[in-house]
Amino acid sequence: MTGREPAWRVFAHEFRASVEEEKGTGDRAASYVLSPIGARMNRVLAVGTLTPPEPVGRDPTNPFLRANLVDPTGTFQVTAGGFQPRALAALQAIQGPQRSLVVGKANLYRGRDQTAYVSIRAEALRGIGEKEYRTALAEALRHTAQRIDLSTRLRAPTAPTDATDRSVTAAPPRWLDAARRSIARYPTADPATFRAPLAAVVLALQGEEPASAQVPQSAVPSGRVTVTRTPPAPLEAPVSSAVRAEEASFLDIVDDLSERSVDGYADLKEALALALQGGVGPHRAEELLNRLEEGGVLEEPIVGKVRRA
Amino acid sequence: MSDPTESLGVVPREVRLRDLRPTETPTIIIGRVVSVQRREITRRSDGGRRPVLSGLLSDGTATVRFTWWDPPADEIERGMVLKAGPVQVREFRGRAEVTFNWRTQVAPASAAEMPALTESDLPSVAIADLHDGDEGFRLAARVVRVRPKTVTVGEERRLLHEGILLDGSGTLAFTAWSDFGLVEGEPVRIVGGYVRAFRGRAQLVLDERSHVERWDGSGLPTADAWNQSGPTTIASVETAGGAEHTTLEGVVVGLAPPSGLVYRCPTCRRSLSKGLCRLHGSVEGEPDLRARIVLDDGTGAATVNADRPTTERLWRRSLDDCLDQLRRQPDPSVLEGQLAEALFGRRLRVKGRASSDDFGLTVYPETVEDAGPPAELEVAALERLARGEAP
Repeated sequence: MTGREPAWRVFAHEFRASVEEEKGTGDRAASYVLSPIGARMNRVLAVGTLTPPEPVGRDPTNPFLRANLVDPTGTFQVTAGGFQPRALAALQAIQGPQRSLVVGKANLYRGRDQTAYVSIRAEALRGIGEKEYRTALAEALRHTAQRIDLSTRLRAPTAPTDATDRSVTAAPPRWLDAARRSIARYPTADPATFRAPLAAVVLALQGEEPASAQVPQSAVPSGRVTVTRTPPAPLEAPVSSAVRAEEASFLDIVDDLSERSVDGYADLKEALALALQGGVGPHRAEELLNRLEEGGVLEEPIVGKVRRA
Repeated sequence: MSDPTESLGVVPREVRLRDLRPTETPTIIIGRVVSVQRREITRRSDGGRRPVLSGLLSDGTATVRFTWWDPPADEIERGMVLKAGPVQVREFRGRAEVTFNWRTQVAPASAAEMPALTESDLPSVAIADLHDGDEGFRLAARVVRVRPKTVTVGEERRLLHEGILLDGSGTLAFTAWSDFGLVEGEPVRIVGGYVRAFRGRAQLVLDERSHVERWDGSGLPTADAWNQSGPTTIASVETAGGAEHTTLEGVVVGLAPPSGLVYRCPTCRRSLSKGLCRLHGSVEGEPDLRARIVLDDGTGAATVNADRPTTERLWRRSLDDCLDQLRRQPDPSVLEGQLAEALFGRRLRVKGRASSDDFGLTVYPETVEDAGPPAELEVAALERLARGEAP
């Protein structure tokens, strides 16, 4: 399948339950976040109420914003940085809660404890009217229901053969492929649990959604999956600016050391010692290091030697 | 001419090109030269040169590729009918090919010797079954579009007719090199056409040997039904490798470069790159507006090439207005950003031809309209869908 990655129409409950990813290898290979009901998302299109963003990080030359996009089933985290100048500007312009449409890359970050944090790195976004909002909700509802249906059929013990089941053969090839990959990665997930939250979408379509669209999280049953390898994603704990500052100063130390070393690597012991001098405890420094390696910022190709990835 | 196989006591068999298979039985074929090309192959062993003639032969049932080693010096021309045997039959990528070697006797023949085809000899096919290289079939379809077009072939200007045929299985573009008096909406039965790939899509070619007759068209979809058919998914057009005429609906998720203000060569209308035309070099570019809209319906994405009038209408800005702004603010990327902002997130309905290549699906639209939200959302149906009940 060639061409541009489509923007999957998903609701927050499905997106937030996505804890599996496919990392692309090679040049310009795409990465995907897999949902338990068969969305294989490189790009997503989401609608909801966007709240004013808050800045993440302290570097004024490298702005990074995070905002919440609330739909009837839950909350998406939406981010934009310097590499998405238009999305960044559009996000900055949001003053109060606003119905919005967001298109962006699905991003999954796995913490040290294997907890997955998903977010949308916005490519573009804009405010939309009520009619556009409802049209987009209806579209996402149709697509989500089709995914649930497709995934359920493919998971059935006596899986229908492709030739006999029209709902399977009529599905877009990309959806079929995604559903199969998702079943392999979420062998125990139950697609039916993703159906209940759609009732809130129907309510919104009937115009019975609270005006603020701030549906309390607890009031909406959310689709949850249990994966033997990783627990379902809880709400992402916002990384505090203090932690960002620590990360930045640790990176400075690594850069400094690797610049002065012959082999281009920073000696890990030296780096940790310098961090200790800077007031970061050994346990804390270890945590920092792990997070930076997990996030792909640093790599340790030789034990005890680190450098920028 | 004498037949060398006679001495072997085996009776050579004359075979229609459609029925050609690799076989031990000596085979004779007869066909008209559709195309021909003379080359010389250099032998690796001694560097000697050996002439070879290759091309396509057709007998109305199929077209096969032929290779003729050490052909006579006489000119072999397109349109000649040749009878050859025994030929060597091979299969290459699932298609039969023939080779004329030193044992093969080749001689001109008259068209009367070609196998006489009666209609019942030819299988009746549906549009969806047709592939590049097919011929020798009967097709019953409706002409849903036909337009005259003048082309220059060598020195000669020729009038041809292009259009679209429709049957219950799909649509097919056609090019008629003779005037069959085709009329939009009319059902036709076609014999003697052949299929060629054009821009990656199968296309029916009709020439002076083709035969077209009218009939009542019972069972064929009507042109009106086809014109008013609703949008199809981008995925299904991707799977089909394109479409002669399709309706797509999706959300604008971005613009592909080049979009916005572009400069074109005054001679050939190509987009300039750094002030240079690929053909005409350094030229005084003429400003133009265009938008390469990335339309996405969740099943796939397509690039829609919007021309200046369409771009102006969607943007609600004119070229003059853009040039005016450029004089005040000389940064064309600002214009591109404004165009992207004006289009992003809009739901568009696009009708036109779609073609597929390594970069994905490209649509050459005839119309681009704001789809807008539907007047009435079928909330009740959506509710049943959400609960997992059959709609």
